[in-house]
Amino acid sequence: MIKKDLSIDSLGVHFENPFCLSSSPVGNCYEMCKNAYDAGWGGIVYKTLSPDHFVIDEVSPRFSQLTKEDTPFVAFKNMEQLAEHPMAQDLADMRRLKKEYPDKVLIASIMGETPQDWTNLAKLVTEAGADMIELNFSCPQMTSHTMGSDVGTNPELCKTNCEAVKKGTNLPVLAKMTPNIMTMIPVVKACLEGGADGVSSINTVKSITDIDLDNKVALPSINGKSAVSGLSGKAVKPIALRFLQQIRSAAGLEQLPVSGIGGIETWEDAAEFILLGASTLQVTTAIMQYGYRIIDDLTNGLMHYMDEQGVDHLKDLVGIANKNILPTNQLDRDYKVYPKIDWDKCIGCGRCFISCQDGAHQAMGWDDDKRLPTFDKSKCVGCQLCALVCPVGAIKLGLVEMKPGRKGDPAKVDASTFQLPNAEN
Amino acid sequence: MTSKYETEPKGYTMTTVMQEAARCLLCEDAPCSKACPAHTNPAKFIRSVRFRNVKGAAETIRENNALGAICARVCPTERYCESACTRAKIDGPIDIGGIQRYVTDMERKENMQILHAGKENGMNVAIIGSGPAGLQAAATLRQKGYGVDIYEKNAKAGGYLTYGIPEYRLPEAIVDYEVQRIVNLGSNIKYNVAVGKDITMDDLKAKYDAVIVAIGASAAKTIPMFEHNICTESAISFLARAKENKGKLDDLPDNVLVIGGGDVAMDVVTTLKKLGVTHVTDMVYEEFSEFKASKKELEGAQKEGVTIVDGYVPTDVRQNKVTFKHRKIDSEMTITADKIILAIGQKVDADGLNIDIQHNEIPFRKVRFHTKDPKVFATGDIVDGDKTVVYAVQKGKEVAEEIDRVLGGQDND
Repeated sequence: MIKKDLSIDSLGVHFENPFCLSSSPVGNCYEMCKNAYDAGWGGIVYKTLSPDHFVIDEVSPRFSQLTKEDTPFVAFKNMEQLAEHPMAQDLADMRRLKKEYPDKVLIASIMGETPQDWTNLAKLVTEAGADMIELNFSCPQMTSHTMGSDVGTNPELCKTNCEAVKKGTNLPVLAKMTPNIMTMIPVVKACLEGGADGVSSINTVKSITDIDLDNKVALPSINGKSAVSGLSGKAVKPIALRFLQQIRSAAGLEQLPVSGIGGIETWEDAAEFILLGASTLQVTTAIMQYGYRIIDDLTNGLMHYMDEQGVDHLKDLVGIANKNILPTNQLDRDYKVYPKIDWDKCIGCGRCFISCQDGAHQAMGWDDDKRLPTFDKSKCVGCQLCALVCPVGAIKLGLVEMKPGRKGDPAKVDASTFQLPNAEN
Repeated sequence: MTSKYETEPKGYTMTTVMQEAARCLLCEDAPCSKACPAHTNPAKFIRSVRFRNVKGAAETIRENNALGAICARVCPTERYCESACTRAKIDGPIDIGGIQRYVTDMERKENMQILHAGKENGMNVAIIGSGPAGLQAAATLRQKGYGVDIYEKNAKAGGYLTYGIPEYRLPEAIVDYEVQRIVNLGSNIKYNVAVGKDITMDDLKAKYDAVIVAIGASAAKTIPMFEHNICTESAISFLARAKENKGKLDDLPDNVLVIGGGDVAMDVVTTLKKLGVTHVTDMVYEEFSEFKASKKELEGAQKEGVTIVDGYVPTDVRQNKVTFKHRKIDSEMTITADKIILAIGQKVDADGLNIDIQHNEIPFRKVRFHTKDPKVFATGDIVDGDKTVVYAVQKGKEVAEEIDRVLGGQDND
């Protein structure tokens, strides 16, 4: 079995691998965290602690999901708030975990209501032995407006709270960002000014997944009513990657340590976050659906990827894709590339024709007798929708042509990156 | 506990039907729909399932096929829609019959009433026989506003659906439900009335604007050497007894020999196994490469452990000992069995109907469904074409259209 070094250092803390449980129901007590460590997770962000005076009182049921065709958990909505044990018990659990697993990383997530709360909580978790502290500025389903994602959209409040935390600890501090905002940059900068050392991104996206059509209430229905709350899972990954790029491409933040979160299920998802600048990764939804055991394929798959890439240290992959994502006005618009149909693979379903007719530029036609698509190059704009809908990967990128009047050599267009996601080779 | 004979295979759930529907490529100008003899349009109803519109799917099926729930279960889809399925070029065809069964099961659970009777046009049609062709003709005519009386010689409607196809393939409750839909459209079924005996053809012709003969091939074929053999029963007699008694037959020995290799033979051998007969040997005239039975039914029989020997014809019978010779190679075998069932086909019994039958079909005419008598039409298995339920359904629709054309009822449409 392949063996590669997945370890990485972030904010002075050594992770044996970048995979952590995110602060959520999956790391809610000693037993669960122990099982996760034993399964192979590199770190745990323990479920958010809040002051005992803030009473956590959860609803039932508290989850719903978005499905597509026969796929469950395309996205997952939850209404859980923070850890609901007495704080003393959580602190005791953390102490015990750190004692039994000194080489694993334990990150304490905290959320206070007042600056004094933040200072106290930071002090307590530092005494309990945490390696790092994450500040939860971003839970979208809190029952108080002075806590959660309302705080995370207010740079001033974030800065004040970071300062309060720093009064109570010398540990490295991550501020956890909310995606329910147009730009994260002012918030990230305010957190750094307040003393935070890095950020975690993203927390869940405010959402309504579905409506019970008979009872006219969003799901989950809590005695006939529901509320907007946080969405996670695969469907939020594109949003998470976008914010990751936003942070790492902002002036002055290019080297900011980021813990990447949002829809990570596979090693490929993980590699994407790393390439866009995450040095550690956090997972919840996939664990809720499949269990801690998914770590096996996250780590092994990532090792094989490193092997394929000829990389010995994970840090060498961090952020190397950021430079290839540009503002839309800086992209090369001088050429177009036509589809190329592999007639040996084409099964004559006509999906390319349908999509081109109804969703593109009518370049694909249909030969009724042969039951095969036809192609009119003069109408093709090179959008490649046909290739995306082909169920057998029979359409690939073909001829490259400069647009009329544009300079350039088609042969120099970088065709090596012309990889279509569904092309079966 | 429900016996093996009475147990249908499990159908899809909402989740599993969605898995199957998601495999469908949703083709342009879908070949499956072109390949359905009854124009049931699988492409459209599978697309409806894919977009979570099961009620719309039920409408697509039902409006084209008054026996949609029956066809879902008994249609040899491998020969029709599934043989044309593009998905087969990737792995295997979509289970179209299974999806159709799910949709029609939901239609039943929701008690949907999709077909409606047309405005009465004052004309009346008699239908002889309540098999699939007769039932579909009744449904189509009722939708066009014709009065319909169905004359059924047996105590129950459905013909071979009720008296032939075993319970595990087609539960009687499903047939009853489909018949009830057609009765609810205003069709009147007269049970236990044999035309030609209890009422004459001339009476019908006098009373109705048209008469449809939809009698199917209900009599068993035999081979002269078996005619007076006391150990021998016909397949249709055996299947009817099994169905009527819900599989509780107390005269079944432990060793049965079946002769024949069509779908009926497969029904017989599989039924015998499901009823607990230990040794079931099926001797088949055709070799496997030229087998008549549908692959699905053959596989079902093999799964039950039936011994199937292909390529042999019977040459001699002495009581319960039958000698066979291979058709092509020099080989002979004698089998001793406690019971012999002949499943070598059916023939038409048109006694008293004054209708020409040659080789179990009406003579070919340019305009299909007509007989020598302008008032008398024929449909179902006695008309040229495949002898499957789905073909019977299509012929039922077409004979109704033809009558409508002749009688001019379409003026009222």
